[in-house]
Amino acid sequence: MKLTSLLALLAAIAIAGSSLAKDVQLLNVSYDPTRELYVEYNAAFAKYWKARTGDTVTVKQSHGGSGKQARAVIDGLPADVVTLALAADIDAIATNAKIITPDWQQQFAHNSSPYTSTIVFLVRKGNPMAIKDWNDLVKPGVAVITPNPKTSGGARWNFLAAWAYARRQTGTDEGARKFVGALFKNVPVLDTGARGSTTTFVQRGIGDVLLAWENEAFLALKEFGSDQFEIVVPSISILAEPPVAVVTKVAKKKGTTDVAKAYLEYLYSDEGQDIAGRNFYRPTSEKALAKYAGVFPKLDLVTIDKDFGGWRKAQAEFFSDNGVFDQIYLKN
Amino acid sequence: MRNSVNSLRAAGLLAALTASALTPLAAQTTANSELDSLREQIRLLDQKLRVLERNYELKEEAAAASAKKQPKLTVGDGRIEVVSSDGANSLRLRGLVQADARFYLDDANAAQDGFVLRRARLIFEGKFSDIFQYVVQPEFGGTVQLLDANINAVIAPEFQVRVGRFKTPIGLEQLQSDSVAFFNERSVATNLTPNRDVGVSLHGDVFTNRLNYEVGAFNGQLDGGNSPTTNLNAEGDFTAVARLFATPFVNDKDSALKGLGFGIAAGTGNYKTGAPGIGYRTDGQQTFFAYRGTTVTNGTATTISPQAYFYTGPLGVLAEYVSSSSELANGANAREITNTALNLSVGYVLTGEDSGYGGVRPKTNFSPSAGTWGAFEIVGRYARVDIDDAVFAGGATSLAAPATNASAVTSYGLGLNWYLSRTVRANFDLFQSKFDFSGARPATGALSDDETAFITRVQVSF
Repeated sequence: MKLTSLLALLAAIAIAGSSLAKDVQLLNVSYDPTRELYVEYNAAFAKYWKARTGDTVTVKQSHGGSGKQARAVIDGLPADVVTLALAADIDAIATNAKIITPDWQQQFAHNSSPYTSTIVFLVRKGNPMAIKDWNDLVKPGVAVITPNPKTSGGARWNFLAAWAYARRQTGTDEGARKFVGALFKNVPVLDTGARGSTTTFVQRGIGDVLLAWENEAFLALKEFGSDQFEIVVPSISILAEPPVAVVTKVAKKKGTTDVAKAYLEYLYSDEGQDIAGRNFYRPTSEKALAKYAGVFPKLDLVTIDKDFGGWRKAQAEFFSDNGVFDQIYLKN
Repeated sequence: MRNSVNSLRAAGLLAALTASALTPLAAQTTANSELDSLREQIRLLDQKLRVLERNYELKEEAAAASAKKQPKLTVGDGRIEVVSSDGANSLRLRGLVQADARFYLDDANAAQDGFVLRRARLIFEGKFSDIFQYVVQPEFGGTVQLLDANINAVIAPEFQVRVGRFKTPIGLEQLQSDSVAFFNERSVATNLTPNRDVGVSLHGDVFTNRLNYEVGAFNGQLDGGNSPTTNLNAEGDFTAVARLFATPFVNDKDSALKGLGFGIAAGTGNYKTGAPGIGYRTDGQQTFFAYRGTTVTNGTATTISPQAYFYTGPLGVLAEYVSSSSELANGANAREITNTALNLSVGYVLTGEDSGYGGVRPKTNFSPSAGTWGAFEIVGRYARVDIDDAVFAGGATSLAAPATNASAVTSYGLGLNWYLSRTVRANFDLFQSKFDFSGARPATGALSDDETAFITRVQVSF
């Protein structure tokens, strides 16, 4: 067989190969409390993508503590997209595994955060410990439930919200350190993720107050009833901006770049924003935000950029090995 | 005075009444306080217990998650395998040892009696990234050599690409692992199909495993032989090979034809100035035909093989026909010749296990203490090779010497297979090979008498 025949054979192989990719599978590696959001969103996106391209897309979900999930992706979990709790975790993937472009936060609107949330308190019905604000959490005998900031993005938001409150109250970082140290003395269980902490508080009946994602707190009320729990909105909290990114190298290797990008873009669509609002995430579009304005309480929100110098700085200072959290928790 | 006394009395009485009324109220208050205290203690103890339980639960979850990340090692009867926690990467160690005893019952070959380490192989196979399968198989029995070394990219079950050194997809019996074949030696028909070669092939299972296809380009190897691992394709030409094999009822569980498979394979290439194969061997592994040392390939060679098998319950049948044509020359004597062969093999598992192309899996292992014997199978075979008459034409420049080569061999085989376990098998095979000659039978040597060989084997394969 001549070389030309061999080349023809290889060309036939290539053509045959390219004609197969009609069923597409994506893996969305996300953080703990987004299960319900993405179950609904994935179905909507599959319908949209089918209508647009004729291809069938199936999105597999993986959930866990945000930091833990980022570590799994760094270790080789083949995510096409990541939808994590905070930018530091996506930065960690970009820096350590180099499979996400460094400018990932500029790839989508609102710094690649299609929805936001904040941290509130979930207490038992009647608020038996009379918890109204952060300073009530450090009182003796109050058991506070929060996940581990080393593995959970939500826990890091909790930590920084408490820090922001105390710094405003005491005027110093040292005062904030003492306050957060006292708060963590009241934490009897450290789950690895926000959903685990919800289980600890809601289902296992442990603790007096759960530091929760706003959406997680609303979901607990919805699922377990407002006769069991109530939400307490503190005087100050933090604007949580869970970001999203295409895992560029993995998507390129799997040939899913276009669909992965479209998957994240569709989060900003009217339907995507509506689904976010329905699942108690604060939409970023004015239209959806107006629709759900009555759901979300208004409160004073600090931001990671203005109050902590951005996630890179905050991550290094507070949550890296031997960072502030380690110093506080190991001392406790 | 009386009034004041009365007042004092009244006051005393009131005090007494008040005291008597307050005494149980104070006691009740104390009791309530103790009850509240006890309730609080119980609540705190309950919380402590819940915290302890939850922390224990979290530790167990962490331990389970950690265990999931560990590679999984499986060691069992017929399986030694390490698989990564996500199942995407694996290494499986396999091995094959075949120890034979050969006894020749004919006068011509009696001197060949002896023990033979027929095969001794360590096989490393596995996958990377869930897609890239690999096989590395060195042979330590007989000539030490690298038999298989290839990578198979499973892009989809329907679309797989294999590169490296592997079996040329033509002969049905050749493609079957020798550790599970009916007899301890493949039939004489397999002499006419190429063995391992270096190349690339596209293959896959389509129509829900009802059709297997394979097309490939190889360096090219003539009858029976393994190609070297180096580039040895003459004049830069490749050999093209294609095979289609259908198993139309494979998914119909209740069909009597579930185990039916049939197909056709063919290969063609241009060969020049190379040696035309390594010679043909009998079931007893004696050479009954070989071209002259001066004979070389001189053009196109084509192999075609229609083939089929049928397995139902304990019965198995395997059949194939091979036509091998090639242009050869010995000096000025250039000819196109066609050799043909056929093989019909039958097996029946006496102990009732299912027969199959992948072998027999005994229901029980041999165990004197348990009183179990494993599985037994009887096998029979008829096979024949016909050498083209043109091979012997040309006198001193004939392609093969008529005086020292058979022009045909008809082979009969009868055997008993004893499956002592999934990994251990013993064979007892009796073969008879009857030779035809274009001229007179040689007076001396291996072909001076028809070959009758009794070959036994103990095999470990995992």
